[in-house]
Amino acid sequence: MNPEAIDHPVVFYLAGLPVGSTVLTTWGVMIFVVVLAMILTRSLQQTPARGQTIAEGIVATIETAMAEVLPKASVRRVLPFIATLWIFVLVANLVGLIPELHSPTRDLSTTAALAALVFASTHWFGIRSKGLRNYLKHYAEPNIILLPFHITSELTRTLALAVRLFGNMMSLEMAALLVLMIAGFLVPVPLLMLHIIEALVQAYIFGILALIYIAGAIVPNESESDATDPGSSEPAQQLPLLNHKE
Amino acid sequence: MQFDWTTFVLEVINFLVLVWLLKHFFYKPVLNILDARQERVRAEVARAEQLQQDAEALKAQYEARLADWNKEREQARQQLEQELAQLRAVSTENIKQSLADEEAKARVRGAAITASREAELARQAAGEAYENASAMLRRLATPELTASIVKMFQQDMKALPSAEQEALRKAAQVVESGVTVEIASAHALNDKDLSSISQSLSEVACRPINAVFKLDPELIAGLRVTVGECLLHANLAEELQFFRRQSKYA
Repeated sequence: MNPEAIDHPVVFYLAGLPVGSTVLTTWGVMIFVVVLAMILTRSLQQTPARGQTIAEGIVATIETAMAEVLPKASVRRVLPFIATLWIFVLVANLVGLIPELHSPTRDLSTTAALAALVFASTHWFGIRSKGLRNYLKHYAEPNIILLPFHITSELTRTLALAVRLFGNMMSLEMAALLVLMIAGFLVPVPLLMLHIIEALVQAYIFGILALIYIAGAIVPNESESDATDPGSSEPAQQLPLLNHKE
Repeated sequence: MQFDWTTFVLEVINFLVLVWLLKHFFYKPVLNILDARQERVRAEVARAEQLQQDAEALKAQYEARLADWNKEREQARQQLEQELAQLRAVSTENIKQSLADEEAKARVRGAAITASREAELARQAAGEAYENASAMLRRLATPELTASIVKMFQQDMKALPSAEQEALRKAAQVVESGVTVEIASAHALNDKDLSSISQSLSEVACRPINAVFKLDPELIAGLRVTVGECLLHANLAEELQFFRRQSKYA
């Protein structure tokens, strides 16, 4: 087994900081995504061309998916973060299909950074939505005894978020590498097809979990909604999703 | 499986930068254009709804007008039917009256024609009867018959009504101024008869009268006396003419 396949060597130092292949690949992904976005939105018109249709389809699909979970007023506020998360994770996952390149998401540092951002954004949007006092108060509900469990849940789900994506992508690349080493040139092709599916699924799971965590922080619970604004509460069938723990 | 804090921090920064870039160069323009299109669609939908409402209002108005028109048409039709019925009744009555008039006229005309034909037939019959009677009487006429008629004339002269006597007297006065008295007879009369006739005339005229005798076979039998403008008939021809005239006016 080639250790290069698992390690992330330092490529160069930037202001004394070591910059690894993961960061370089991430920059490449960023450039690709931004350039593609600028191309697609080059000349927006009321009657869309093909590129504009694709761009609108992407944004509208993400917005619709988010609108099913989030309150309508919060969709546009959260959309840049969640949409970027979906797009970035998807492209980063698919980068592993390109020879000599590795997915940034097979690096625990990347997935941990994304999970940390989800953790931080959850509290950020929660506090912006409810206010600091009300937001912190829900940790002590329904009883103060549950506070440690809430905190543990927050940490473990963030950790699970990072490790799940890292583990899936890492294992997928390792499996493809092992099959390639053992069986030969064309045998890993079905595995690469599986890579595409796995990349899509993992990006969707990562994004939807982040969305659910943020929605759980934004949407008031049942007692609060009854006390404050009954009209702004989400449908009852979405409540189990908000308590989803990984 | 290594965790590198530098990579962690850089990835956090990278992602935040990517969020910012995509937000400004992708999400915001696309969402703006989506909002604009949605607003335009909403405006068009509102306009379409307004048009639909206008169309429905126009449809309702049209249907109301159509219903009114149908009602008016029905009323006009009923009124027209009534007028036609009245006109038909009046026309029928007029036609009946006209037919009755025409029938009466035809009946009168027919009656007149019939009467005219009957009169014509009567005239023809009278004429034929006259001719036949005349022919038969000509065969029966004899001087004795004329003599008998002369006697009957003389008797009648005696019983002549006073008005006719007066007329005869006036006629006799005119005779004196040169007009002659003529006695025409179908057969020759003897002197006795002539003198008795003159005598009878003189008695009635209250003056002596000298008559001129004339033979006229057309009288068939009997005589005719002409005193000025006064004619005294006592002959079969004149009697036949009298019957013929009477049959004309019958």
